[in-house]
This record gives sequence, structure tokens and C-alpha cells, in this order.
Amino acid sequence: MYRSQKLAVKYLAAAITLFGVMVIAGLMSAYYYINPDFLFGILHFNIAKILHIDTLVIWLLMGFMGAIYWFLPEEMGREPVGIWLAEILFYVFCAAVAIVAVVFIVVQYGSSNEIALWFINQGRKYVEAPRWAALGVVAVMGVFGYNVIGTVVATRRLTGIMAVLMIDLIPLVALYLDAFPAVTNMSEDLFWWWWLVHLWVEATWEVLIGCIMAFTLMQLLGTSRRIVETWLYIEVALVLGTGILGLGHHYFWIGTPNYWLGIGGFFSALEPLPLLGMVVHAVYDAGTHHMKTANRPALYWMMAEAFGNFLGGGVWGFMITLPQINLYAHGTQWTVSHGHFAFWGAYACGVISVAYLIVQKVRGMEQVGGALWRWSFAALNLGLIGMVGALLVAGMTQSFVERATGGSTLQAFIAGQQDPWFVSGMMLRFLFGLVFAAGYGFLVYDLLTLGRRRGVVTAATVSP
Amino acid sequence: MMQIRLLETALLLGLYVLLAGGYGLTYALARLNHRTSLRRAAVVLYGLHCLVAIGVVVWAPLGLGWKALLIASSLAMLVIPPVTWRYLEHTHRTGSASA
Repeated sequence: MYRSQKLAVKYLAAAITLFGVMVIAGLMSAYYYINPDFLFGILHFNIAKILHIDTLVIWLLMGFMGAIYWFLPEEMGREPVGIWLAEILFYVFCAAVAIVAVVFIVVQYGSSNEIALWFINQGRKYVEAPRWAALGVVAVMGVFGYNVIGTVVATRRLTGIMAVLMIDLIPLVALYLDAFPAVTNMSEDLFWWWWLVHLWVEATWEVLIGCIMAFTLMQLLGTSRRIVETWLYIEVALVLGTGILGLGHHYFWIGTPNYWLGIGGFFSALEPLPLLGMVVHAVYDAGTHHMKTANRPALYWMMAEAFGNFLGGGVWGFMITLPQINLYAHGTQWTVSHGHFAFWGAYACGVISVAYLIVQKVRGMEQVGGALWRWSFAALNLGLIGMVGALLVAGMTQSFVERATGGSTLQAFIAGQQDPWFVSGMMLRFLFGLVFAAGYGFLVYDLLTLGRRRGVVTAATVSP
Repeated sequence: MMQIRLLETALLLGLYVLLAGGYGLTYALARLNHRTSLRRAAVVLYGLHCLVAIGVVVWAPLGLGWKALLIASSLAMLVIPPVTWRYLEHTHRTGSASA
């Protein structure tokens, strides 16, 4: 095994651990809606929420990096350039994440001054990490880029997937620099902040996961390079074509010119089209192989990715993407429902798929099977669908009661929060969150013990 | 009330995309399994999708441009599954041959 692949295993272990922190912080955030006095004066809702969404970003990022560090040496036939630096920075990255989490929990917030920006909290959603840690993320991403691009340069061999990946790494690193400015004009600040958040999530990350899924398809189903590269180009072009200017749907209500209503609505409305193609592609890939593979969990999670992306991004997103409708739905639990479903479908399922693939290779298993991954798959997806369903009900209640009929007054806000449909929705979200947490527990146990438990290999051999 | 109708339109738009997805899924399954019942299901789902699209165009308080976009999307959604499938077969045929 290459050193890069050992590093990949560490990255994936860290990613799955942070996934757990995200689940716990998410459960806490959900519980605050049921019992607002929870941890009163000790840990406020906003801190639990920060931990929830920041760990979401970091665990997915670590998962992507782990996947690339796994596939890179196999693709290039050599150890990546500067891997020693990446090994050091992995520990720096983990230490920084831990320190930032402790500061969030213990110090929580500071005054509105430079010291708070540098050492406590930048106060910008998704990128709350203080500047010193944000600089660390830039260093880690810079080295990651150096590993990938330097290796391609050193081998003097460029494959289609690597070309796409290299091009993608430039905006991936450059856009993160948008995490730093502290602009006091709110509209201007949000304008640029969305470049980071939206263009990472709906552009550079989409391309990155596309590359990762291309590698995974070749290993999992033995699909030929020519096929995956052709489809990678097509899907990346379609996703970028609709996703880049889809940025406009975040510009509806932040003080930007009116033309963004048209641009954002138009390009966002096109976003379901490539996702529909992906659904057909997923059925074709799975069907032509009769769902037969040596690694069923990885295949099922990859299928979940295609369908989850369509439902979470396509269906849930399309409901609220036109500006006339978004006026009433934005910032409600409806948006939260869409965010949960889309992140899960577009990225989380893909990272879990890669985790199963890597576990199989690391432990030298011919077949991966057993019953536990099914429990994990079922509980995680049932929990997630239950959560997004409950959030949808709560969000629709907010949109109808607070926004549409109440006129967005404070009194209407309170009426919305007290509406039985909203309250029931938030209760159900918490309960399904517990189901999701149970699924996470099964997932961790399965990944830790696959190939080491008696019965798993036997079961897998009998039922491929 | 305009606001309520817009929010009801949101639900219709969700159904609009969901039915298009159902059409794509059943179309692909029908091609895979060569089953007439699945092919019929795909036609029915696309028909329902069109009914929802017509409902939105006739009833929803959206501007003409948005309604035209929905009609264009429906047409695109009709052709995406067969075109994707045909191209998938083509790339797999030529890809496997050259591999």
C-alpha cells in the first residue's frame, strides 16, 4: 500500500469521526426546538448549530481528500509528490479542528474586534472558524493541490479525470480565500460570501465528487476509463452550466440588483435536468451489472447518491427556487429540509460509498456483505427521509402561517413557532434524528469490524 | 390569496420534478428489463407530469416567462431519458470495444 493510501485511511477515519460529531451537534440543535431551556446559560443553540454545520463541511472535505489520496497513486502509478508534507498537515488539520471546536464550546464568542476574528469566531456561517484556522485550511488545501498537480507534472502523464480534477482544484483553493474578508457592508459581504458557499458546494465540490465517483465506478463495476471520462465531461459541463449562475438564487434578498431574480430563477430551474440524466445513468450502470459487485454496500451507497441528489437537489430545490415562491420560503425549515437532503444525496452517500470500497481493499476482502450494512443503510436513509419530511412540514407551516398570511411580523413569527404543525414537525425531526444516529452507530461498527467479524465473509460469499 | 397560491404552486413544482424523475426511472427500468408494463408506467408518469405542468401554467400566479420555462423543461425532461440511454449504450459499445 502506498503512503498516500495510508493517509487516505486516516482522512476517512477522521471524516467518519467528524460525521459523528455532526450527528451529535445536530441532535442537540434539534432538541433546542423542543426544549429551548436545554443547556441554558451553558451552551447556546447557535454554538450547537455552528458545530453541526462546520463539521458537515469538514467531514465531507476530509472524505473527499481521503478518496483522492486513495485513488491518486493508483491513477499515476507512483507515490504523490510531497506526500510527507500532507502527512504532517493531516495532524495539523485534526489538531486545528479540535482546538477550534474547544474554543467554540468553551469561549463561544468574543467582542467585535480583530482578536475575536483571529482567535475565536469569524462570525460568517459555514466558515466561522477563526482566521488562524482558516489559514490552516488554506495551507492544507494548498498542499493537497500541490500533491495532485505535482504528481501529474512529475509523471508527465495526464488522464481525463486528472485533468478535470486539476482544473477543479484551482477554484477550490482560490474560493476559500473568500472566507477572510470582514466587510462591514452586509450586502457586499453576503455577495462574496455566497461565492465561497455556493460555488464550493454547487460547482467545485460537484466536480470533485464527479471525479471521485468516476474512480469508484472503474474499481467497483470495472467500467472502462473511456466511458467514465466521457460521462464525467458531460455531467460536469451540465452541472457547471446550471450551477454557476444558479448562484443567483442566493442573491434574491440580500440587496443585489433585480436582474438576479431572473438569472437565479432561470439557472436554478435548469438544475434538475442533469440530475434526471444521472438517475437514468445510475439505473443503467447498476442494471447492466445486475447489481452484482464484490462490494454491495459501496454500490448501494453510490445508487443512493444518484437518487438522493435528484430528490434533495432536484425536487426539494425546485419547490423553492423561483423568486416569487422563495420570498416566502427562504430561511424557513423548508430551506433546512432542502439543505439536509441535498448535502446527503450529493456528497455524504458518495463518501460512505468510497469508505466501503477502501475498507474492502485495506482488509483484502474478496466480498463485502453481511447484514449490518443493510441496517445502517436503512436507518440512515429512513432517518434522513423522516427528518427532511418533518422539516418540510415545519417549514411549510412557517411559510404559510408566518410569511404568507402573517406578513412576517414578530407576532406572525411567534404564531408560526407555536403552530401545532410546526411543533409536531420539530418533534418528529428529533425522533428521526435518533433513527439517523442509530444508523450512524451501525455504520461505524460495520466499518470497524468488516472482515473481522465471523459470519460476514461467509454471508458475503453465499450472497454476493 | 396570491401568497397562498404561490406556496401551493411550490408543492406542485415539487410534484412536477418528482414525476419527471419517476418517468426517467421507469423508462430506464423498462429499457433494462424489456417490460411493457414498465414502459406503460413511464408513459403514465410522464402524462401525470404534463398534467401538473398544465395545471401550473393554467392556474399558478407565475409570469409568462416562468411558465414558458416550465413547458421547455417538460420537453427537455421527455427527451433526456431516451437520449441519455442511447448515448450510454453507444459509449458502452464503443468504450468496451476499444478497451
